[in-house]
Amino acid sequence: MASISLRNVCLDYPLYGAYDFSLKRRLLGHLIREKGEMRIIRAVDNVTIEAEAGARIGLAGPNGSGKSTLLRLIAGVYPPSSGQVAIKGNIVPLLGLNAGVNLDFIAEDNIALLLRISGRKPTRAVIDEIWAFTELEERMQRLPLRMFSSGMLMRVLFATATAFPADILLLDEWLSVVDEHFAEKAEQRLQNLVSQAAIVIIASHDQPLLRRTCTSIINLDHGRIASTVTVEQPSTLPFEFREISA
Amino acid sequence: MHHISETPRRPSVLHIFKIYYPDLFGGTLTVIRDVCASLKDAFTSAVLVCSQSAEQRNIVVNHVPVERVHSFGNVLSLPAAPAYPWRLWRKIAEHDLLALHAPFPLADLVFALGFGRRRPLVVHWHADIVTHAGLRWFIEPLMRRTLRQAKAIIVSDHVLIETTPLLREFEDKCHVVPFGIDTDVYDWPKIEPHHVNDRGRLVLACGRLVPYKGFDVLIRAAVNHNFEVWIIGEGVERARLEQLIRDLGLGERVKLLGSVNDCERIKLMCLADVFVMPSVTNAETFGLVQLEAMAAGRPVVNTALDTAVPRVARHGMEAITVPPDDPEALGEAIDTLISDPERRRRMGLSARARAVSRYSTAAFKDAMETVYRSAVTAASDEQVPAQDQLQVTGLFESVRIAAALAWSDMRHRYVRSLLGPFWMSLQMAIVVAVLGSVIGQISNADMLARLPMLALSMTAWTFLNSVVLDATTALQNSASLIRDRALPPVIFLLQCTFRQGLFALHNACVPLVLWLLLTPHELSGALAALPGLSLFVICTFALSLVLGALATRYRDLKPIIESTLMLAFLASPVIWSSEMINHRSTVMRLNPLTHLFAVWREPLVGGHVDASSVIYVLVALALLLCASVLTLVHLRKAAFWI
Repeated sequence: MASISLRNVCLDYPLYGAYDFSLKRRLLGHLIREKGEMRIIRAVDNVTIEAEAGARIGLAGPNGSGKSTLLRLIAGVYPPSSGQVAIKGNIVPLLGLNAGVNLDFIAEDNIALLLRISGRKPTRAVIDEIWAFTELEERMQRLPLRMFSSGMLMRVLFATATAFPADILLLDEWLSVVDEHFAEKAEQRLQNLVSQAAIVIIASHDQPLLRRTCTSIINLDHGRIASTVTVEQPSTLPFEFREISA
Repeated sequence: MHHISETPRRPSVLHIFKIYYPDLFGGTLTVIRDVCASLKDAFTSAVLVCSQSAEQRNIVVNHVPVERVHSFGNVLSLPAAPAYPWRLWRKIAEHDLLALHAPFPLADLVFALGFGRRRPLVVHWHADIVTHAGLRWFIEPLMRRTLRQAKAIIVSDHVLIETTPLLREFEDKCHVVPFGIDTDVYDWPKIEPHHVNDRGRLVLACGRLVPYKGFDVLIRAAVNHNFEVWIIGEGVERARLEQLIRDLGLGERVKLLGSVNDCERIKLMCLADVFVMPSVTNAETFGLVQLEAMAAGRPVVNTALDTAVPRVARHGMEAITVPPDDPEALGEAIDTLISDPERRRRMGLSARARAVSRYSTAAFKDAMETVYRSAVTAASDEQVPAQDQLQVTGLFESVRIAAALAWSDMRHRYVRSLLGPFWMSLQMAIVVAVLGSVIGQISNADMLARLPMLALSMTAWTFLNSVVLDATTALQNSASLIRDRALPPVIFLLQCTFRQGLFALHNACVPLVLWLLLTPHELSGALAALPGLSLFVICTFALSLVLGALATRYRDLKPIIESTLMLAFLASPVIWSSEMINHRSTVMRLNPLTHLFAVWREPLVGGHVDASSVIYVLVALALLLCASVLTLVHLRKAAFWI
């Protein structure tokens, strides 16, 4: 059973300036007794989140309110400075689509590599299925990604990233690049994925999207939880069916 | 993680200390024994200690299993037991709670390396380090790490928190649990403090014969007075104290009784007129033995230390407190009591009353059980962070991802050109040809026969150089995969080794072709070179791991690493042969590269590797592995650096 439990979690993010990356300066600073003051920003401040399987949590808040940092903390990228983090289930973090893409490679190889990075075996059938979802021409599979437009690239990356269900899905804002038709399809797939994943956490500025997909919305401000809103699901029935059968 | 509270099994506690019965008797050991005994209904206990005795390793003391790791003796008050950290690590997994009896820096070292992080830890703070205060700068960070990891810190009195700066940092974790004493064993009706011996002049002291106990002060105090002193206990100071007694001519009145069993000790306590605790340093934090004397209804003379000592038996009520290390004042105080039976009686009664009311075993047991239980439950609530799980279960996965990435890097070369990495091999061939001809000019030796080895050495050197240089930028180049896909940073350092390994295989065709063309085909050396070659590769990877992480944290390291590597290359016999250069050149002998190449090059040509080279490489490897472990611990923070 997947679950996420954050208890009074804080994250002090060290801000390294140009000088803080210098060993020579640091050693010199020790010699001349210059107290190097490290700038630290509290990116996540005393956050407590308990999520059991079936939870779909939206993170809202202005830029720099700590949405992405919180997602990365849950993903295990940043170790918490204090508090307790307990996570059960395998996490699929989709925080930036571009990660791991090599533009010189043909689309097919990129898909294969991306699948390997997420620990899946890229078989012919899987790649074909992903390609079918992109609705791009068959022959484009053999073209280097460098030749793709940004919208087409997004389609490929989105299709690959969402090809497999996950226990815990972490999504950062990235649905805005594609055209309208694909956006609709993407959202549908996301809904589907969300319904299969035990826990989904989405960070987005798109309030309507959050209201459509999430069971509760957490508003962040300067790393703190400003408020938590529980969303009434307009059409819960099909989702619940899927959850029980999953 | 399983919830331990539901299982009927009693949680098990591992007590960690340096020494235990029957090797020694003393306050700390009494505490461990009492904790084990009083909590036996709630917890199963085990003890892991060191022992110098060659007898059996596993013994049972008071129904508690004790494992004794062999120690070769004491260095700076610490047992020299090289196997202890290993045994501790093995035992940690078997228990639900760890109880460290501090100070014990050997165990701090194990915890500092990150072992036992998943088990709840309770620290019994018995004393600060006083004897070897010079080592503080080294020990204190270790102790701080341990205390940070601890769920609770148990001290015997609140004054310890106030006077110990290190404890003050963790004040919110500290629990004050005064020791308890079973007053029933002191058969009260038979002791008649109100019927004190009018001629009474028997002074008793008890404790290990170690410097901080201050028994020499007590012996000196006896010089100008007329009382008799009996000292119970054994220890390293014995010879010195005996000498002192002889020198002062006190052989008639001062006796060292040696070790005495519990029953006998209680009898002696009841027999004595005054109990003295002359301890001179803050290493004496509580003085369990003075509590025993109080239970026996004896008046106490103790010293004004900054610890709980003068608070357990208080000046003017149960004790007379004198300045530490002051024989005159100590002698005066003892004399005052000896000459005033009425005061002895009064003090003895209030001492007994205080021991019964304030330091009962029941209160001790309850408090200990509460602390232990909350530590175990807190730990079972708090689960392993996700990234830790990732590190353990995902190691194989990491290697696979690194291999996939490296393979894709290699294919990338073929995408851009037909020859791919063979372009580099071509370059290598040219370098070897030019170098060969130049070296052939310098020395008169048969250069052609040496070309394959030159090419192979260059291939190996290129591998090492590129792995380390790649690693210095690897994490920054893969920032998006680390931050957005949450891949462990170590993958990308592994990737460097794998990628350059693949390239090295391409390059290896140059020496292979040269070997096929130029020299007689002798394969026996190749097998002998394999162990050395794997050492070479492992060292390279460990070096790239450490330097890669360091260079990511400190960006100005990269040029330094680059030039150092070049310098090491030039000062090593990679391209020069031993005949061309005086092989005994000091710089070359100190250069690790020399030995790193020697361990596989020598067997390859059918020669013999110097033992010094093998030792040099193994020591370097051990150091690198230690550094790698530290690096892996800190690599968690790599996401902040990129």
